[in-house]
Parts: sequence; C-alpha cells; structure tokens
Amino acid sequence: MTTREDELRGGLGRYLSRQWNAPVTIGAMNQIPGGASRETWRVQTTTNGVARGVIIRLDPETSLIDTDRATEFRAIEAAYRSGLPAPEPLFLEHDLSWVGRPFSLTAEVTGCQAGADGIPDEHRAKLGRRKWELLGQIARLDPIALGLSDVMPATTVETCALEQVDYWARVIVADEIHPNPIAHAAIRWLRRHPPPPAQKLSLVHGDYRTGNYLYTPDGDIGAILDWEMAHMGDPLEDLAWSLDPLWHAWATPDLAGRLLPHKEAIAIWEASSGLKAAPEALTWWKVFAALKGIGIWISSSEDFHNGAGKQPILALAGWLMTDRQQQILDDYLSPHSPHRFYEVKA
Amino acid sequence: MIPHGAQGAGHLATRIAMDLIPKATDAYVISDLGMIAGLIGLVAQDYDRAAEVLTSDLERLRGLFAQAEPLIADPDLKARLAAARELRPVSLRISALSADADLALKVLIDLHAAVENAVDAGEPWAPGLDREIWTYLDEYVAKRTYNAAF
Repeated sequence: MTTREDELRGGLGRYLSRQWNAPVTIGAMNQIPGGASRETWRVQTTTNGVARGVIIRLDPETSLIDTDRATEFRAIEAAYRSGLPAPEPLFLEHDLSWVGRPFSLTAEVTGCQAGADGIPDEHRAKLGRRKWELLGQIARLDPIALGLSDVMPATTVETCALEQVDYWARVIVADEIHPNPIAHAAIRWLRRHPPPPAQKLSLVHGDYRTGNYLYTPDGDIGAILDWEMAHMGDPLEDLAWSLDPLWHAWATPDLAGRLLPHKEAIAIWEASSGLKAAPEALTWWKVFAALKGIGIWISSSEDFHNGAGKQPILALAGWLMTDRQQQILDDYLSPHSPHRFYEVKA
Repeated sequence: MIPHGAQGAGHLATRIAMDLIPKATDAYVISDLGMIAGLIGLVAQDYDRAAEVLTSDLERLRGLFAQAEPLIADPDLKARLAAARELRPVSLRISALSADADLALKVLIDLHAAVENAVDAGEPWAPGLDREIWTYLDEYVAKRTYNAAF
C-alpha cells in the first residue's frame, strides 16, 4: 500500500530534480507536529553528494486558518530579503500533479527548537529582548515598497483597524456553532471605541507569538515562522497579539510570551520600531487580539465538526482556547472584572 | 449506561498519557496522542457538567428577559424576549438543551446590543441592565472553564 510519505517522497523527488536540474535523492522524512494551518514535513535531500534539509508545507484539506499560500510565501520572501531571520524561500508550487496539493518549500533551519516549554530559564530575558526587537524591525517594513500589494489587500491608516474587526466578525458569524455572546460583545465594543489612526502602514506578521519562532540553545532567534496571516496594517496589531495572555504561562501570566515583563517588551518594541505604543491604542488592539483569537478558535472548532480534517489540534484549539480566550475577553470588558490580565480597562 | 462516565473518560486520558505516549517513537504520533488525551480530559468535564451548564443558562436568561421585556421599546425584540421567556426544556438530552440555549443566546446578543444603545441614549434603566447582563456573561464564562494542565 502506498502511504502518504511514499506519495510525497516520489513527487517531491521528481519535482526537486527538475527544479535543481540534477537527480535528487529523498532521505528521511518527518511530519512536524503542531502545524495547524499547513501539513508540514522536514525532508532530507541529497543532490550531487550534497545533503540539504528542506521544509515542505502543503495546503491542508482543512485548517485553523484559511489563508492563501502565496501570501505566506511572499511574506517570508520579503522578510528574508529584508535581513530578518526567516527560512530561505525556495519554491512555491500550485500544480497539483506533483504531490496532489499545492505546496511551498523553504530551506530547513537547523539547530533550533520552537516549543515554549523548552526555553531555558537563563535565556528567557535574552530571547524576549530579541523577540520584541525583531518585531520592531518587522514594524519598520513597508509592504508596498516590498512589492506585496498584489498579494495583500490595500488598506489605509484610518481604516485598517475596523477592517480587521469586520473580517473577524464575518468569520465568527459564519463559523460559530453556538452563538457566542462574549465575542459579539467584543465586536460591538471594538466598533464603538475605534482606535486612533495607525502611525503608519506596516507589514503585519499576523501570528507573532511564542511557538511561531525557532530559537537557538543560547537564546537567539533562528527563524520567524508561520507568516500565513501576514497583511498590511497597524503595527500595534502585532505587538498586541504578541502580548495576548493566551501566550503566557496560563497559571502564572506574569511574563509576556513567557519571556519578559510587559512594560519591558513594549519598551524594546518602541525602541526598535521607532513607534509609540500609546496606551489607549494598545488597549484597543489587545481587545482586538483576543477577539481575533476567539475567531480562530471558533473557526477551528467548526472545521473539526464540519470540515474534512479531523486533526485533534483543531478540536483542542476550538474547545480549550475558546474557553481561555473568553476568559481573557471577559476580563478585559466586564465591569465586574478584577483585571487579572494586566492593565487593559474597557 | 456507563457508570461514572467522566471518571472513565479521565482514566482513558491517563492511560494514553502514561502508557501509550511513552511507547510511541514518532514525534507526530506523540503530539497527536497528547492532544487526544487532553481532549478526552475536556470531554470528561463536559460529560459531567453539560446539563447543569445549559439548564442554568436557560433559567438565568429567562430571568434577564423578564426583567428586560418591559423596558425594551423595539416591538420585534420585545416579542422575541417574550417568546424566549417561555422557553422550557422539552428534553434533557444535551442536543435539545443546546438548541434551546442557542435560541436564548441569540436573543441575549441582540438584547445586549439594544441595552448598550440605550446606555448611549441616556436611558436611566440601561446601565443597571447592562451590568446585569455582564454578571450573566461572567457566569457564562466561569461555568465553561476547563481544568487543564497546559
């Protein structure tokens, strides 16, 4: 019986042989766990005696995040060419004949890991400083100058915030299996308290958080991953998302992203980006981040129940993360809230 | 009937975590098994509490709708509040209770929006009702909270 791995091995070998104009041998293949938006494999290749690791990301039958592979690939390409630590982009292929689905290929980044649990305590502060310094550098990037206009919807500094609310409100209304009164209260709050215009339009990574970068054992960041939600927008969106309490240690949410105190993370981002994180604007974007989170989790739950894929990560995200994101939104917005999750006041 | 269903599901999750995962060798399989064990743990919690969560939702919402109905001017919303006040479970199956709760939650969402507009319009009754709704929402969130080790 031909396995999924066999199909990939054959198709990828033929594809890379054509692309690199030399016979390619496919060695070890390992599916990477946790990939919720794409099916991801680490593949060892050998060409003319030279070994090279590549990462193949295939469009899934269903996923947490419904995104365009071209947007992701082009954003990685732009980041890589801008000198940010991003995987070297190799190929983007839409032809289904090779492995049955569209896919992208990047070079493997070696010597790193991604899991939040493995971060060495002695390197948390160093890694945190690097994380928000790099996010500040992303905020400096101009997506139009980088040539991303053809894969990212145009927006303006005045309208980008409420456009994002509209997008996620549509996702929530379309996908909620049960009406979610917390999410709807948040949507109304965001529309009733619009933020000031963005200081500039930036490349927004869209999912910049612990777990979506690779780090080295000595506390550096080897690669920023998961650019599938990249878009043009207010750079405060990325900052707020990176500070969402969901990415902290849940029981002890004192460190943003399990790395740094919030104020320190914000100060590093401001110094690196040259922008200000005005408290009122950042508050709005934090509420938005929690709403976007609940939109993703509601959508993943719907995918699990009604979609083609039955990956456990869809259900786990849909159930546990919806619960936690509801707790965060309630904490932010309820007049009775003890504001466990920091300084956000509705 | 499975006796102690929630406990039973919990035992299955423990079996996966403590026995099967240590024997698995592939990182992808280990990750999936870990998530499945976690999910069974969440299902176990819902197994035990789902009926209480949903019936208490309905009871609390009926009270809120009774309080709100005389204050709401919009005739359509007023009629929906009146209808939702009369919602009584015809079955204690979770699917039936969920359907009833969904109906009531849709009315709540529209009521909350109307109350917020009334707060903005300076209606003196509105801030109190808004706080009442948020008290319900605090409870809604709290009773759906999962205990999870991650």
